[in-house]
Amino acid sequence: MKTDTKYTEIEKFKDALDSCTKCGFCMAGCPVYREEKKESSVARGKIMLIRALLDGEVEVTDEMAEQLNRCTLCMTCAQNCPAGTQVPTVITAARADKVKRRGVPFPYNIVFRWLLPRRRLFGWTIRLASWFQRIFLPKTEGTLRHLSFFLSALGKSRHIPQIAPKFLRESVPEVNKPPEGVKVKFTVGYFTGCMTDFVFPELGQKIISFLTKNGVEVIIPRGQGCCGALVFLGAGDFATGRKMADTNVKAFKDLDYIITDCATCASSMKDYVKFLADTEARKKAYTAYAGKIKDITEFLVDVVKLPASAYHVAPEFKGKTVTWHEPCHLGRYLGVKEQPRKILKSLKDIKFVEMPDADRCCGMAGTFSIYFYDLSQKIAEKKAESISSTGADIVVTDCPGCQIQLMDTLKRLKMPQEVRHIMELVE
Amino acid sequence: MIDTKHVNRLRAITGKENVLTSKEEMVAYSYDGTQMWSHQPDVVIFPTNATEISETLKYANENGIPVTPRGGGTNVSGGSIPIRGGIVLCTTKMNRIIEINKTNLNATVEPGVILQDFQDALAKQGLFFPPDPQSYSGCTMGGVVAENSGGPSCLKYGVTKQYVLGLEVALADGKIVKLGGLTPKNRTGYELMMLFTGSEGTLGIITKITLRLLPVPKANQTVLAIFRDPAVAGETVTSIIASSILPSKVEFMDKWTFNKFRGIIPDAILDTSEVILLIQVDGLPQTVAAEVQQVVTITKKTAREVRVAADAKEAEKYWQARRAHFSDIHSQAHDIINEDVSVPRDKIADFIRLSQEAAKRYDVPISFAGHVGDGNFHPAVLTDSRNKEHYQRALKCVDEVIEIALKLGGVISGEHGIGLEKARFLKKAMDPTAIEIMKKIKDLLDPKHTLNPGKIWEEG
Repeated sequence: MKTDTKYTEIEKFKDALDSCTKCGFCMAGCPVYREEKKESSVARGKIMLIRALLDGEVEVTDEMAEQLNRCTLCMTCAQNCPAGTQVPTVITAARADKVKRRGVPFPYNIVFRWLLPRRRLFGWTIRLASWFQRIFLPKTEGTLRHLSFFLSALGKSRHIPQIAPKFLRESVPEVNKPPEGVKVKFTVGYFTGCMTDFVFPELGQKIISFLTKNGVEVIIPRGQGCCGALVFLGAGDFATGRKMADTNVKAFKDLDYIITDCATCASSMKDYVKFLADTEARKKAYTAYAGKIKDITEFLVDVVKLPASAYHVAPEFKGKTVTWHEPCHLGRYLGVKEQPRKILKSLKDIKFVEMPDADRCCGMAGTFSIYFYDLSQKIAEKKAESISSTGADIVVTDCPGCQIQLMDTLKRLKMPQEVRHIMELVE
Repeated sequence: MIDTKHVNRLRAITGKENVLTSKEEMVAYSYDGTQMWSHQPDVVIFPTNATEISETLKYANENGIPVTPRGGGTNVSGGSIPIRGGIVLCTTKMNRIIEINKTNLNATVEPGVILQDFQDALAKQGLFFPPDPQSYSGCTMGGVVAENSGGPSCLKYGVTKQYVLGLEVALADGKIVKLGGLTPKNRTGYELMMLFTGSEGTLGIITKITLRLLPVPKANQTVLAIFRDPAVAGETVTSIIASSILPSKVEFMDKWTFNKFRGIIPDAILDTSEVILLIQVDGLPQTVAAEVQQVVTITKKTAREVRVAADAKEAEKYWQARRAHFSDIHSQAHDIINEDVSVPRDKIADFIRLSQEAAKRYDVPISFAGHVGDGNFHPAVLTDSRNKEHYQRALKCVDEVIEIALKLGGVISGEHGIGLEKARFLKKAMDPTAIEIMKKIKDLLDPKHTLNPGKIWEEG
């Protein structure tokens, strides 16, 4: 057995790699294995393939690259693993070693290396795309449109929401103070994430309004960028990921709390230190940064400690039945499970119904759904069944990524349920 | 390397999308839940119906290509490792639950249904299928039958063979045969489906299964008891059962699992104890309450501390710790040699004592966990195959542990099967005439030995 140290990122997590006993506890819960029913889809198989990489038995071939990409990093395997093997960590590291050897393929390289790290340029491109979206693509129901010109490189005929005419950062000031007469209890930095900034700016406005009303001053640092999840977790491009991490750390350096409305952004940014800290200085900075991050529901329930009476349902949702989709990044990664449910239960004028397997992955997983759209949709169909079984009018979640996936799936399946962010319900 | 024309034929039988040949995929089918064995197949196929299995077997038989059946690939005897290469025939895409019949208390399933999915579907109707191998979240029904799986619940409810009513099997020459039926009583000819139950894929490939079911017990409760002396724990189990209580599970864990109980039991007690017993009683609520009381009274006489799980959540915490035993010990050694002996219940204390003495003599760490209620133990020797000398000592210790079990009137495998892992012990453990009969049956049903070759007995 020869040990090859050319896989330096994987080597960092060798303990996790070695801890798998091949027992197969990971199988029943794996969303990808459930669809494909083959060993290379499931955690145990991927672990064995990565061990074979280190042993020099296999190389980073096209197929190997695909096997590494074919995982939603939903963390269910790690949760069910009696040995606690952190499979998603090992897979992310393997993706990074893959990128070191093979680079990121076109057109993803353009998007990941050039657009995502440059917030303004990305914004302009998105805006340009939105014009094309209007010109070339038929408008579907509501504000959903088929995938636009530039994004079409990344997927099939996906129903995605229309790009907002005015981005969040263009419509709100950098500093948002509580209204007159309301005392400032906390000051937070709002990490808006790409989706809320470009696609769901009304969500951002609602969050700012709710926070300020409840005594939270909200700063939106203009220097912030993309969280980098697609780039370093999805595509394994650690070098670009590091630049993005540094940008965000700098943008929020003077703030004690960083709140997000996107579980993926929150958990990915907390993971900077695990994957991207290549120097002591970065390790220190990323650790401090991670400590400040709170998901919005976690912040409201655990930090601000708002009483149930502070949550009112927005008039348009009164009398509706609502169910909750728990994003993987929220429940399994951040451990935030009770907080959103507490908020939903506080809302007097809705009926909250728990869906079966609320914590099962929706299949979005960023780049995963771009690379493997059909598979991603099959996974989402299971989620759609759960949603349907509750009889809910609205499914809420806490991750714009999940939201887009669910919108796409429900539209495709011609299901009537609306998909909303939990904070859209609240005022 | 398999001839391309064979691969093309397999593609024609099962469809191109159901045949894998890449190096990467072969790596992913070179192992199962067993620790020490691995071998890559030449091709993996996923038939989607019995006809495809039959055609594949017929073709493989005509061309002398080994076929290793596989479901979830979670067994721990090497049963699904394609030790002679050739075809891995994986049933995971045949995963339909064909019928669950509440009136007849039976269900018919395809072999690729995951046990956990089956249990979930049954639970919705208030039913259950008792065998509960620890691999339930990955293992498939074909494997459960072919390995005659057990698990903790088998103390009260028996093993898989007690639930098999009927099977459909594809034979080595491709013939499909229906055995047994739908009724719990059936005295028609030889019990041929029992021949395939526990056959480890060496006699045929199971294509459909009809199982007897039970209604889910209305209540259950878990008692935890901790002991200083393993022998005393063993005697306590004997006392519980002698008091006319038949718990649904009695599980034994040693020190290696204790970390999972920190915060539940005081460190001072954990640090000076050797064994935890988990005892589950099930049945009608009033019976459970009375029996738990009785179990508590008995265990309190000998145990250092006794806990009754306050609710299902706490009980699940205990059971999770039990399920994690293997990975707990695995995290502390490069390699584990895990055994599966079963001894008569009144020999439990002797077995533990003698095995510990053997481990001491060979100077290797040994851990015990198992279904102590029915005498089925999983002694595990911790070693490191990279250290030849240590590894040899470990193997010798395991040999001796097996000898001890046999001398006490036990068997070499309670529930894992023989596969590759225990083939070298078969001659010691079985009447030579019985081995002869088995071989004749094998020759009759699979004269060319293409079905799961290299398993059960040492060939050549």
